[in-house]
Amino acid sequence: MLFGPQADLAGCRELHLTVGETATCAQLREMLAEACPALVPSLGESRFAINQQMAGDDRAVRADDEVALIGLVSGG
Amino acid sequence: MNVTIHIIDGPLSDEPKPLETMSAGAVVCFDGVVRPSEHNRPITGLEYETYDPMTENTLHQLAGRMRDEFGLIAITVEHSRGFVPNGERSFRLRIASAHRAEALRAMEQFIEQMKRDIPIWKRPRFVDAQA
Repeated sequence: MLFGPQADLAGCRELHLTVGETATCAQLREMLAEACPALVPSLGESRFAINQQMAGDDRAVRADDEVALIGLVSGG
Repeated sequence: MNVTIHIIDGPLSDEPKPLETMSAGAVVCFDGVVRPSEHNRPITGLEYETYDPMTENTLHQLAGRMRDEFGLIAITVEHSRGFVPNGERSFRLRIASAHRAEALRAMEQFIEQMKRDIPIWKRPRFVDAQA
């Protein structure tokens, strides 16, 4: 799932990627960069949320996880 | 419950949500107002996007951490979702504490961390994009 300016950059609010059974958030970041080069400048400062919880780069991504890219936030 | 979070569709009302102030010696309030321009381009307002319910949950966690770290009495957070015209309030933080110093420090820290960590996004609606 993509939000805010990153959804605008990607031109969509959802991206579907096929990942291996042992994929991590770090690998997901690399796949996102390849699938959507417009996101590359903001990926370094972005984090992932899995099932609505912040997740570190070593967190495994499993089938049926809800994965959100949390970047360029700007509340207030 | 002395931490309350309100995600509100559209601009915030002039009347703040309740805050527990019993035994407080200080009540500090910050209102965030949408500016009329972004990077010197006039805007009609800002479109706020949240990731529900994570946005509310993480605001609650942040407010709880501030309460515990600074020994606050109560925190109330209001944040807009959707379109807020310029000149209107989109964010309000109210903190009650025994003394002013901890409320003022917590206020600054809360806002800094919110802008860095909480899943809320905003997009300007530019006046000249509507032509």
